[in-house]
Amino acid sequence: MEAITLNGVSKDFGSGTSYVKVLHDINFKAQTGEVDLVIGPSGSGKSTFLTIAGGLQSPSSGEVLINGSPFTSETRRQQEAIRLSKIGFVLQTYSLVPYLTVQDQFKLVDIFVKKNHIEKERFNQILKDLQIDNLMTKYPSQLSGGQNQRVAIARAIYPDPEIILADEPTAALDTARVKEVGKIMANFAHEKGKAIVIVTHDQRLSEFADHQYEILDGRMRPV
Amino acid sequence: MFLAVKEMQHEKFRYGLIIAMIVLIGYLIYVLTSLAIGLARQNTLAIDSWEPKTVLMNRDANISLDQSILQKDDVGHLNKSQALIGQMAVIAKESNRQNESARFIGLSKSQFIYQELKTTSGHLPTKTNQIVVDDKFKDDGYRLKDRVVLNSDNTKFQIVGFLHDQRLNVAPVIYGSLSTWKALKGYRGNQIIGSAVMNKAGSPTYKHKAVKKYTKSQLVNKLPGYSAQNMTFGFMIGFLMAISLVVIAVFLYILTMQKLPNYAVLRAQGIPSSMLVKATVYQSLLIVVIGLVISGVITWGTGKLLPLGVPIYFDIPVLLAVSAGLIIISVLAALIPVRRIITIDPVTVIGG
Ligand SMILES: Nc1ncnc2c1ncn2[C@@H]1O[C@H](COP(=O)(O)OP(=O)(O)O)[C@@H](O)[C@H]1O
Ligand SMILES: [Mg+2]
Repeated sequence: MEAITLNGVSKDFGSGTSYVKVLHDINFKAQTGEVDLVIGPSGSGKSTFLTIAGGLQSPSSGEVLINGSPFTSETRRQQEAIRLSKIGFVLQTYSLVPYLTVQDQFKLVDIFVKKNHIEKERFNQILKDLQIDNLMTKYPSQLSGGQNQRVAIARAIYPDPEIILADEPTAALDTARVKEVGKIMANFAHEKGKAIVIVTHDQRLSEFADHQYEILDGRMRPV
Repeated sequence: MFLAVKEMQHEKFRYGLIIAMIVLIGYLIYVLTSLAIGLARQNTLAIDSWEPKTVLMNRDANISLDQSILQKDDVGHLNKSQALIGQMAVIAKESNRQNESARFIGLSKSQFIYQELKTTSGHLPTKTNQIVVDDKFKDDGYRLKDRVVLNSDNTKFQIVGFLHDQRLNVAPVIYGSLSTWKALKGYRGNQIIGSAVMNKAGSPTYKHKAVKKYTKSQLVNKLPGYSAQNMTFGFMIGFLMAISLVVIAVFLYILTMQKLPNYAVLRAQGIPSSMLVKATVYQSLLIVVIGLVISGVITWGTGKLLPLGVPIYFDIPVLLAVSAGLIIISVLAALIPVRRIITIDPVTVIGG
């Protein structure tokens, strides 16, 4: 099933001399049960692409579909509801709420997402695999960049979303941990039928992707 | 709630400072209000204790107890809910004590004001040379059985009882007989009978057109200096409230603006903006209520520590109204940046 579809999405910012076109006519599909990797250098439009796909900003033209139904044209409230229940975001920076301990980051999900979360054993295993199970009482500011990223990944997986959108989730990780994250993402997609889109400049994730795309100066093509 | 409380727990210092500021503002407002009310009450305590609905006074007296004179024919027979008073300013002297500026009020034993007086020690006067006085006399060293001279009259009056909260125009009240009042005033004959008639019940009848009926508040507002004083304090407290509210509003605004990145993260996670608004309002509510409770406790402690002579009165309904005003306005202040919260663009914190 097509979890996310982008049809002819373009994005520009500013006007006159400050006008920039960041995305050019992007057509993209993410299937459930698959990991899609979008690789591109810094400034190529990866974050813009991902935030548009997840409804954090709207395209200048074109449309986004979630599970085949229009997302772009929904009201903000409906977009929020969809984002809350169906999409897990791993942002490039600042994914965690600064004043919540790691365990409270998950508790926040308990409070706001009123549906079944990921099974306990699986989740505990993920915490162990990500080596963050001993950090539960720490605040984000007490964690290293890599630890922050791994907690953000666990947090995104925790509500058992249908779609995970991850922006440079491995930027601060060493190779062993990159492989761990890649494995977790791939398992989550394949075993539980999730659609996972990762944008990154990190080639080390290639081996875990079902499809790869390259993005350069706002233009995307399959690899 | 979860978000509001967790954030305050994590940012203890920052929220502690803001609560401390609210405590100080609340303390200032509470103490000032209580002092103003305490002082205002000192003008009217005696009249309040009589609980008159209306007052009969000389039409030409400009509603001044000092100026009003009633003649025998003016009022006619008084019923059970009416009491005649003869009021005048006096200086009480006793050789071993300090002189006391006071208000003498002559009463008739058969009327309700006398009958409802309650002494804190001693008893009510039964003879014309006996008086009962406000506790202020006791604070200033006067004792039961002290014999005092009023003005430059030669007669000595014995203090036979003390009363609590009997003040008129800030001065302590001395209760004695109507004949004493007449003697001190130098009135002879039996034409002049007193200054005013207090009516406890509805609308009394009176005979003469020289008399006019006034309400209690008309009487009170004409007490020398009373209205001016209340207006001054009213404006002081009003300005203080207004300025405090602006200060609180600015602080809450800055607080919310500083937290915008946090809101953006929450929004990116899909937490509905209505929840963020609720958390913000709940948090300001919490801050202000905690602050005001603390200032209430400190104010109460201050009241206990103040020397006896300082008039402070905790008028709970008024203080609650003031608190409610502060709370409501603070919540509104916290709502000013709500548009920013609702429209915050999560992308602003994501970075390239
Ligand atoms: N709000 C914006 N206003 C103007 N330019 C922007 C804005 N957001 C992104 N850009 C520009 O778009 C380009 C792509 O940014 P981004 O999507 O963050 O790239 P990446 O994530 O691949 O590093 C950059 O040149 C960036 O400066
Ligand atoms: Mg980026």
